[in-house]
Amino acid sequence: MSLRRLWAVAVKEYNHIMRDPITLGLVILAPTVLLIVMAFAVTVNIQHVPIAVLDYDRSPTSRAFIQRMTAGDDLDLYAQVDEFEEVDSMLLRGKIKAAIVINPRFAEELLAMRSMPLLVIIDGTEPQSGALALDHIASRTEEFLSQKLAQNLEALGAPSDSLQMLDLRVRTWFNPGLKSKNDVVPGLISLVLGLPAMSVALTLAREREHGTLEQLIATPVGRSELILGKMLPYILVGLVNVVLIPTVAILVFRIPFHGNYLLFFLLSAIFLFAILGMGTIIGVFIRTQAAALALSFLVIFFPAFFLTGIFFPIAALPEVMRMESLVLPGTHFAIITRGIFLPGVGLDVLWPYAIMLFGLGVAFSAIAALFFRKKLG
Amino acid sequence: MKDNAPIIETHGLRRDFKEVRALDSLDLTITPGELFGLVGPDGAGKTTTLRLLAGLLDISDGSATVAGFDLKRQPEAIKHHVGYMAQIFSLYGELSVVENMRFFAKMYDVTDDEIGPRMERLLSFANLTEFKDRRGAQLSGGMQKKLALACTLIHEPEILLLDEPTTGVDPISRREFWGILTELHLGGTTIVVSTPYMDEADRCSRVGLMYDGRMIRCDTPRRLRAEIHGDVVVIRHEDWRSVRHAIEKTAGILQVQTYGEALHLVVDSAEKRIPQIEALLRREGLRGAEIHQAPARMEEAFISLIREREASVESTQEV
Repeated sequence: MSLRRLWAVAVKEYNHIMRDPITLGLVILAPTVLLIVMAFAVTVNIQHVPIAVLDYDRSPTSRAFIQRMTAGDDLDLYAQVDEFEEVDSMLLRGKIKAAIVINPRFAEELLAMRSMPLLVIIDGTEPQSGALALDHIASRTEEFLSQKLAQNLEALGAPSDSLQMLDLRVRTWFNPGLKSKNDVVPGLISLVLGLPAMSVALTLAREREHGTLEQLIATPVGRSELILGKMLPYILVGLVNVVLIPTVAILVFRIPFHGNYLLFFLLSAIFLFAILGMGTIIGVFIRTQAAALALSFLVIFFPAFFLTGIFFPIAALPEVMRMESLVLPGTHFAIITRGIFLPGVGLDVLWPYAIMLFGLGVAFSAIAALFFRKKLG
Repeated sequence: MKDNAPIIETHGLRRDFKEVRALDSLDLTITPGELFGLVGPDGAGKTTTLRLLAGLLDISDGSATVAGFDLKRQPEAIKHHVGYMAQIFSLYGELSVVENMRFFAKMYDVTDDEIGPRMERLLSFANLTEFKDRRGAQLSGGMQKKLALACTLIHEPEILLLDEPTTGVDPISRREFWGILTELHLGGTTIVVSTPYMDEADRCSRVGLMYDGRMIRCDTPRRLRAEIHGDVVVIRHEDWRSVRHAIEKTAGILQVQTYGEALHLVVDSAEKRIPQIEALLRREGLRGAEIHQAPARMEEAFISLIREREASVESTQEV
């Protein structure tokens, strides 16, 4: 393998990316735009879920509870009703997604620190928003209760630092609304960072369509030089996204980034190597750009959406698909992005996924180089 | 390699595309330094022949050696010795003239020290120096062909395989292009060029006439011209349409071609037919026609050979 020829192919391909607005847009702008659109689509459901409250207690405590419940952006008080029938009809007409019924001795039982029933009704026809409403209500209730508990304990003369600890622990544990956004956006990042794979799938087909492949394969250029030379500039340009996209995630979506950025950058490069290898395989087998585009949607994007654990847990997949998800670079990279963004784990935890990604990259590009034939027709 | 040993040699070379036999039993021997022309109608197998020799197509049957290497077993070794130029513009439109040349220089392992001087030489050779920073896509058709040739020549190949390098090029660029080819030919490069233009075929040292996947004749242009059965007669007249109409049914006229206001006839014998035609035109009242015998040109020879071939194919089908 001649590195000089590989590099010459890479420079040529880099020039093409930079001089063709469509390719450049597809490689650099599209991932960011797609992240913003999808992340908004996913996170917008979490907020402003309409609920109704039926308060039989009508005490200052129950009013404080209701106020706490609807203080944030996630739950909106659609109506405070007096009759249970009203709750029923609002649920039926889809005006509300959930209702809370506060029992008559709410304040009393709370003060006595006895077990306290609280009826929550969820509209099950939309499981997604229903579950979210339940999550919000549960977390708000826990918040409210722990605060009340603290007040009660304080009144009884308990030490205040133990209260702080109790309070803190409850907050982190029950925060499902926030958790889903912080979980989904890093998952989406792993999806959109792979977008340049589509462009690389198109490059070989484009050379076939434009006839440039004929002149190219008339030269002594090696197959691996050609394949790796084509992938290299897409990895480099794709790394621009690795700077851009976490920035958008942090600034626009307020996703915390707890890990090591350098590690994220490095592992993203390995991921790009793997996913671009996949795209190149498509380019090797498919002759037209239109077909390559369609196939890269089918082979790279739909599976990346459904089989990499971004939205649906891999453990819930049938066994055959779990096997498939193992060879998808996105599966391993989704774990990496989530791990680095939220808990902020390092290579000590992520190394198996990094090795897996690298292995996939080597395997994919080897397959691409092996099956690429320097022949026409 | 000895001077007279063939540089390209094929034995029973065949290539099938699904249902179509694009090339059938090609036996061809080309010696170093030849300027070999491939002529024939569209779909005759010219492009397939050139692509096979360049190692771009799998061989269905037969064998070939190019520059001393076996085409089937060592196609990559051949590529260092061959410069292939595709029929359509197949360089990178978004790259400039020099970027294209530098790219192909590197593909062919031309050393860094060599690239500069060679590019400069080829640019001036192809009259492209003042356009060297222009993008490939923005060049005229003629300039694109010259750039493609320059990229094909960057590794100084012993063999040039050119697929219709002058198709779609204006006459001045065409002449210029052939000037370059002649210089290369004089420099000792072996050139195989396909062309639809018969005047170009005339400039070759040998011509292979292809028809329906087979090479039906292969000889020097002079001998091919001599193969024409009959003589060529040229008639010039203002009202050439009426002349053409009048003589069409005359016995002994094998073919009639129109060139502007002149009619080129192929007749069995000029000596016998010219007086007959003159008499006929006088009877029809078409006076003042200028009639004379002319040497056969490649075009007439080509058409006559193709017609002959078609006739023989038809007659065998009838049997």
